[in-house]
Amino acid sequence: MISTAWLNNYFTDYKYDEMFTPEMEVKSHWKKLFTSLNDLGQEGLKSRQKDIDWLLGENGVTYNVYNDPKGLHRPWNLNVVPFILHESEWKVVEDGLKQRAELLNLVLKDVYGERKLIKDGIVPHEVIYGHRGFLRQCSGIKYTTDKLLAMYAADISRGSDGRLWVVNDRTEAPSGMGYTSENRSTTSRILPEMFAKMNVKRLSSFFQDFNQMLVDASPENKENPNIVILTPGSHNETYFEHAYLASFLGYPLVQGNDLVVRDGFLWMKSLQGLKQVDVVLRRVDDVYVDPLELREDSHLGVAGLLDVVRRNNVAVINPVGSGVIENPGLIPFMPAIAKYFLNEELIIPQIASWWCGQEKERNYVLNNLSNLVIKRIDRTNRESIHFGDFLNSEEIEKLKTEINERPYRFVAQEKISFSTAPNLANGKFEPRNMVARAFSIATKDGYSVMPGGLVRVAPDRDTLRVSNQRGGTSKDFWILEDKPSEETKTQYWHPKASVSASGLNDLPSLTAENLYWAGRYVGRTLVNARFLRMVLRQMALMQNNTKKPDSVKLQVLFKAVTELTGTYPGFAKKNSKGTYAMDNPYKEMLSVILDKNRVGSLANTINMFSNSYYSIRNLWSSDMWRVFENIQKTWRNFEEDTDRSINKIIKVLNQLITRLIAFMGLIEESIMVQQGLLLYFIGLQLEQSTLTITKCKSLLTLKYEEQVEYDLLEYLLTSQESLNIYRYSYRSYIQIEHVLDLIMLDLEYPRSLTFMLNRIQKDIAKLPHSKGINHLTDYQKFVFEAFSKLRLANSIDLNGTNENDILRKKLDILLEELSNLLFKTSQSISTTYFDHTYKQNQLVTQSFPI
Amino acid sequence: MIFNITHTTQYEYNAPVSYCHNIATLRPRISKGQELLDYKIDISPEPSELSERIDFFGNYITRFSIQTRHTVLKVETKSKVVRDYARYHESFYTDACKGVSLIGALEALKNNDTEVLEAKQFVLESIFIRRTDDAIKKYAEISFKGNRSVFDATYELMQRIYTDFDFVSGFTSISTPIDEVMKEKKGVCQDFAQIAIACIRSIGLPARYVSGYIETLPPEGEEKLVGADASHAWFSIYIPTFGWVDFDPTNNQIPLDQHIVVGWGRDYYDVPPLKGVVYGSGKSKLKVAVDIARLE
Repeated sequence: MISTAWLNNYFTDYKYDEMFTPEMEVKSHWKKLFTSLNDLGQEGLKSRQKDIDWLLGENGVTYNVYNDPKGLHRPWNLNVVPFILHESEWKVVEDGLKQRAELLNLVLKDVYGERKLIKDGIVPHEVIYGHRGFLRQCSGIKYTTDKLLAMYAADISRGSDGRLWVVNDRTEAPSGMGYTSENRSTTSRILPEMFAKMNVKRLSSFFQDFNQMLVDASPENKENPNIVILTPGSHNETYFEHAYLASFLGYPLVQGNDLVVRDGFLWMKSLQGLKQVDVVLRRVDDVYVDPLELREDSHLGVAGLLDVVRRNNVAVINPVGSGVIENPGLIPFMPAIAKYFLNEELIIPQIASWWCGQEKERNYVLNNLSNLVIKRIDRTNRESIHFGDFLNSEEIEKLKTEINERPYRFVAQEKISFSTAPNLANGKFEPRNMVARAFSIATKDGYSVMPGGLVRVAPDRDTLRVSNQRGGTSKDFWILEDKPSEETKTQYWHPKASVSASGLNDLPSLTAENLYWAGRYVGRTLVNARFLRMVLRQMALMQNNTKKPDSVKLQVLFKAVTELTGTYPGFAKKNSKGTYAMDNPYKEMLSVILDKNRVGSLANTINMFSNSYYSIRNLWSSDMWRVFENIQKTWRNFEEDTDRSINKIIKVLNQLITRLIAFMGLIEESIMVQQGLLLYFIGLQLEQSTLTITKCKSLLTLKYEEQVEYDLLEYLLTSQESLNIYRYSYRSYIQIEHVLDLIMLDLEYPRSLTFMLNRIQKDIAKLPHSKGINHLTDYQKFVFEAFSKLRLANSIDLNGTNENDILRKKLDILLEELSNLLFKTSQSISTTYFDHTYKQNQLVTQSFPI
Repeated sequence: MIFNITHTTQYEYNAPVSYCHNIATLRPRISKGQELLDYKIDISPEPSELSERIDFFGNYITRFSIQTRHTVLKVETKSKVVRDYARYHESFYTDACKGVSLIGALEALKNNDTEVLEAKQFVLESIFIRRTDDAIKKYAEISFKGNRSVFDATYELMQRIYTDFDFVSGFTSISTPIDEVMKEKKGVCQDFAQIAIACIRSIGLPARYVSGYIETLPPEGEEKLVGADASHAWFSIYIPTFGWVDFDPTNNQIPLDQHIVVGWGRDYYDVPPLKGVVYGSGKSKLKVAVDIARLE
């Protein structure tokens, strides 16, 4: 028999458990799983759970929590114990969901078409017209696809009668499929033996249907339509999933800014130019997709999109306006709708709901508020859901007033007691309330339902609500077959390469821009960290760093810190309050390193670097993710640390620099040039060149007495990590001419300015608009000019000064010119390829004189 | 009466606009006592596309895009309209209209025949007239009472708005919330129309926003100036079993023939004469001129 020591006290009170009967008997279809789990034992399971956590972290699976004090990108949680259903029970659910998807599809067609449901009195008009998701702009649009509702998700839960019920319909931009797929690939790797012997239905054919649905949605019936995934951006709670689906399906991930409407078509701004888009899988809520016709303040969409839809020149999945059937107000009328359209009964039961627009129902609700859950018909977000039993009398009164004012906007639902499923928590099994999200996709002859789904469970024993925002966890969802079917044998489905073939030319311009800035920020972080470390090492030799340094060389170094990081006034001059950072260099250095609100500080630069990387999440490998996490962790630990000694900071910078270098190495081997690595290199080299110029300006343009000069040269070489090379190449006392040769003019040495500009020159020649046979583009001209100036210079001239002058004028002028040319190069690349110079503005709306 | 209406809208940008997408609701719709004889729209620069459709409320919507770089956008419409609304005026004072009490009206609205169903959507909240505070309802209840005629109550409401509110242009913008207009009692025609609509809806009756023009007459003995007429807005209430009746709270009158209807919706949001998204970096200056010439 089963050793049940670790099952003790499983129930505090029994409701309905998926695995156990009240007598703690394991239900028959769970037996196999339970035996396997039991065989693994407590320690075995804990260690598998650790493996799962590690693997998810490794793959960078995150869920963003709005306003989370812990910051964005919270790790996704997956519990080691899967949720299972037997195929016989699932079959009913599947049929029920197919029917429900079809019904909602018909409702959607009707409310934007003939509106017979309203005219014939099946659905009260307020349920549709009073729903903010009913977009009158979409009325009368004719679509080319047979099914209007392309994707449908339902939250299902077990009701008190032991049957699975629908509790929520998700029709707008349902999330969860990506997480489901990630959950499946994780559990199948961590629990391979169980997965193999239990005949778990595979998800691959569903994803095949999903992809086919997108292809078939193309209005022109193209064989290889251009499909894009529209995301609101990396701050969205399910951004991981958008990036995941994009790389899983092989379609570009775009933001509103990447798209434009011209000539009645939708285009993607790619590096090469505009590319027509046929299908948009949107993860942006519908009111935000078109600032011309829908929400005017939206910057997440593209102006004019709805008109392109109207012309049947693009398909949006799910169609704009489908938010109206994400509507608990429809639930009470679903049985009548099923009769009306199909002459059928609902196969899958649904949560009992009372729409307050009807007098009898409203009175019932008002009299029973404390036993009900109150929702708005059109806002299913957490803030507008009220659990009656948690409200105090004042809140109840307030809610009653609101309901009476606009009754049609409210729906009350029965407070269901969710069934519980076993979860590994605190080292043992504990029951958790659960809800499952099931997904359906329109196919040629109906709907295809994913065999499985996303199961979410409450964070602790007593919590009724299940929500990722509140820190719940997820489970893989297995449908078990008695005999392995063909389907269970199929391996993972991989999209055809031909569908995803996209080169550098098709790179969305926003991705290109992010890669470019990623290169610039990683370069800036590295150069600044090295320079600051060098300065700190000098400070470590001093007795007192909280007073103005006597030595000239230190003063020059400190000023260079301000110039390199751009943290003015800093060491350059007194600030507006009349204090001068030079009087307390230690304090200023701490601020330049740690103050993340100060533009140019190291902390701030690291932050910019992290943001730019997060926004190109879909291009990453898992190694990159790990090293990136390491960098973040190094910095977080440092921020929390109280030790602010110079040696401690040097140690942290050492770690940071090592990890950055590892990271840069990984980027080069993980991202392909066609994916945009070229842009990264251009950004990186431009940044490093620019900062080298700044350093030379700060340390070399003025002449000092010999010893100071010598030290400054050594500092420069150290900060460039070039001291050894210098010694190897020149085997001499450090002299300025040699330093200028090595750092600026050497064509072969990778850290020299000339080398870097030469490389930029070659890289930018590969950009789509560069031609170079007869004439050069602007950015090519600027780099060519800078490169030529360096080639024409010589170090003896550059070292010269006019008599009695301490300024090396030629050097100063050259550096200034180079700096300007590189600035113009960056600008020209931005305007040619990133095209965000035009801001979207609303026309001022007409004022009325009378 | 036949009118020739010229409506010119001009945006001047201080920096060039690379392209723009626009929507215009400028073609006068056919409505009770109004016919459209001729209509023309001229846009400069030349649009790359232009299409017209009928929206959810039955208004004509023109959608156009301009892809040539420009610093001035000019949209000019010329409409020839026959107005013959004044002849319905008498019917408002018959028992069929005036005889409908508030109680009767609310009862009649429970009916679900096509006309009533169509009207009832105008009881619900809309984009600019969302949930309002008690002040609106209290203000409405002074006029609307159980056994009182809905027509009389509406007439009084119109008069009260005319008296209580000051016409101050520039005080409000399209984004000024109704509650604030109610508090300050200042605004322009669209504010007054929307206040009235909010009041009527708070009682539970349907009201819609009407966008159009009004012919202004010069003071006795003076020449009428070209372009002195204006865009205008007023409201319409649905009196169950009778139909829609227009009221103009800005001028304290039931529109006759000098009011020309362009379109209607739940509030201003549904029928802005011109709106758009422009791609450029500068600010814009707006000039609007309306000229209404009476032909007979």
